[in-house]
Amino acid sequence: MFFKPNFLLLDYAIRSLMRRFGKSFFIFFILSLLIFVLASVLMIADAIKLELNTTLKTLPQITLQRFIAGKQSDVPLERVEALLDIEGISAVTPRVWGYYYFKPAGVNFSIVGIDAYEEQYSATLSTLTQRFDIKLLEKENGMIIGEGVQKILSENYYTEFFNFITSEGKWQRVHIAGVFHSDLALESNDLIILPKKLAYAIFGMDKSKATDIIVKVANVKEIPTIVQKINERYPDMRAITQDDIRVSYQNIFDYKSGFFLALFSICAFAFFIIIYDKTSGLSSEEKKEIGILKAIGWSSDDILKEKFYESFTLSLSAFFVGITCSLFYVYALQASFLRNLFMGYSALKPSFALPFSVDVSMLILLFLLSVPIYIAATLIPAWRASTLDADEVMR
Amino acid sequence: MIVLHEVCKQFMQGDEEAHALKKVSLEIKKGECVVLKGSSGSGKSTLLSLIAGLMQPSSGTISVEGKEISKLPESFSAQLRREKIGFIFQKFHLIPYLSALENVIAPLIPENLPVRILEEKAKIAMEQCGIAHKAKMRVNRLSGGEQQRVAIARALVNNPSIILADEPTANLDETLSRELIASLEALKHSGVTLLIATHDPLFFELPFVDRIIEIKNGEMIL
Repeated sequence: MFFKPNFLLLDYAIRSLMRRFGKSFFIFFILSLLIFVLASVLMIADAIKLELNTTLKTLPQITLQRFIAGKQSDVPLERVEALLDIEGISAVTPRVWGYYYFKPAGVNFSIVGIDAYEEQYSATLSTLTQRFDIKLLEKENGMIIGEGVQKILSENYYTEFFNFITSEGKWQRVHIAGVFHSDLALESNDLIILPKKLAYAIFGMDKSKATDIIVKVANVKEIPTIVQKINERYPDMRAITQDDIRVSYQNIFDYKSGFFLALFSICAFAFFIIIYDKTSGLSSEEKKEIGILKAIGWSSDDILKEKFYESFTLSLSAFFVGITCSLFYVYALQASFLRNLFMGYSALKPSFALPFSVDVSMLILLFLLSVPIYIAATLIPAWRASTLDADEVMR
Repeated sequence: MIVLHEVCKQFMQGDEEAHALKKVSLEIKKGECVVLKGSSGSGKSTLLSLIAGLMQPSSGTISVEGKEISKLPESFSAQLRREKIGFIFQKFHLIPYLSALENVIAPLIPENLPVRILEEKAKIAMEQCGIAHKAKMRVNRLSGGEQQRVAIARALVNNPSIILADEPTANLDETLSRELIASLEALKHSGVTLLIATHDPLFFELPFVDRIIEIKNGEMIL
C-alpha cells in the first residue's frame, strides 16, 4: 500500500500544533478568514447572478422605445395596431410607466400603469391582477405597492394613502389598496402599480401615447428578424431584447465584481505573506526537533509525513470552518454588508433572499488555492531541514 | 560488528575546509565497551554521528552489523538506527512538551504499530531505567537525572544491539553519573555493544570498559 495512515503520527502532529497554539491558532484564524471572505464573495456573486438570470427570464422579449433627437419620447398608441400586422408578433402591449421622485426619502419609485383588460406582460403583474381587483382600483383610485415602497411611505406617515404631485402641480390622492411581495424582489421592491388613467394623470402624459411598447413573439428564434422588420417600419424606435438587457446587467455586475477583485487581491496578498513566512524557514526550535527525531530513528520521509499531517489538519480544518461560516453568513444571515456592495446602498435596495447556489468548481478552486499551497509551504522548509545532517540541526 | 575504514569527515567553516576526522579506522566487536576520549572538538561526537548514520563520511566506509551504513539510502539508515542503535545525548535531547512515556515511544512512531504494543515496550524500557513511576510527567518538569534516565529508556526501547553515548555524564552530578555508569554496565553485561564518547575521567578506570581510544584533532592516537 502506498500510503498507510499512521494515527500515532497524526496524534503527534496535532500535539505539535497544540504546542505552538498561539502561532497555529493565528494561522488557522487567518486562513479561515481568507477562505470565509473569498467563499462568501463568490457565493454572493453566484446567488445574485442566479437571481438576475431568473429576473431576466420574466422580462419582455422585446421592448420598443421611441427616440426623437436622441431623447426618449412617448410612443403613439396607433403603432400598437400597426405592429400586430408584422408576421411573428403574437401580442403588443403599450406600457405607461415612469419614476416618481419622493423627496423626503430621496428615492425614486417606479410607477407602472396597468389596464384590467390588457394581457399583462410580466409574471409579477399577472399574479397581481389575479390577486387584486384592478377594476376596483380604477373605481377607488387605489394602488398596490411593493414592500420597499410601503416601508418608506409608512416612515413618512403615509399608511393609507399617498398624495402624488402631478406634473401640473396638483395633488393626486391615491389609496394604498394592497402591498405585494414578489419572489423577484429585484424587480418589485420599489414598484407602485396603479390604473393607467392615474399614471397618465401623475405623469401628465398625453393619453394617446404610451411610455414604451412590449412585444411578444411566437418563436424566440425569430426575434432578430422581427426586430429588423420593426426598425425598417419605424426607424425612430429602438428595440431592446432580453439579450441586450442581459449584457447590460452583466456589465454592471462585472463592474461591481471589480470591488471584489480588489478584496480578493488583498486576501491573496495576506495569504501569500503567510506562505512566504512559512517557506522562509523553520524556527531553531523546530529544526532542533527535526534533528532529534532523525537521531532517534525517524527518516526524512517520516518527518515530512508528520509535517504533512500537521499542515493538512490545520489547513483542511480552516477550509471547512471558512466554508461553513460563509454558508451560514450568506444564506442564514443573508450576507449583510457584503451584498450591499453588489446591490448598492439605495434606501430602496431590493430585499430578496439570496437563492441557494453553491458552485462545486468554486469550492474546488478555493480548496486548491488554500490547502495544497499551505501544505507545500510547510513541507518545503521541513524538507530542507530534514535533509540536513541531524547533527547539524541539533547543535 | 562496527567497522570503520579510513573514514574522513570535512566541514566547511566559512571559506575554509575543516577536517573533523582524518582517516579513522576502527573495529569494535559485538558486546565490547569502547570509550572514546579527547578534548572538546577533537572529533568524538562526529565519529558517533557517522556510526549512527546521522551524517555521511566525506570518504571511507562504515559498516554496522555487516551493512555499509555510509552507502545506505537515508530511509534505510534511519530504520537501522531505529532498530539497532540507541543514542544517548549529552543534552538529553528530549522533546519538552511530551511526557516521559511519549518521549520513550517517539522512536517507534514511524513503525505504525498498535499503541498497546508501543506502550508495553516503553514501560519495559522505563522500568529498566527506574523511571516508570514518572511516565505521565512532562519531561521539562523532571530533574536532570530523571531526564537522563528517560533519554536512556528512549535509547533502549527497541532493544538495540549498539548504544552510542555522547558525553552522557556532562550534565550530571557525580551521584547521577555513577547511577548512569551502573546502567551502562548492566547493558554491557546484557551483551549490548557500547561506544561512549567522553572526557569524564570516571570512565577511564571502569572495569567493564574494554578499550579506551584517544582522539586528537580528528586522528586516533593508538
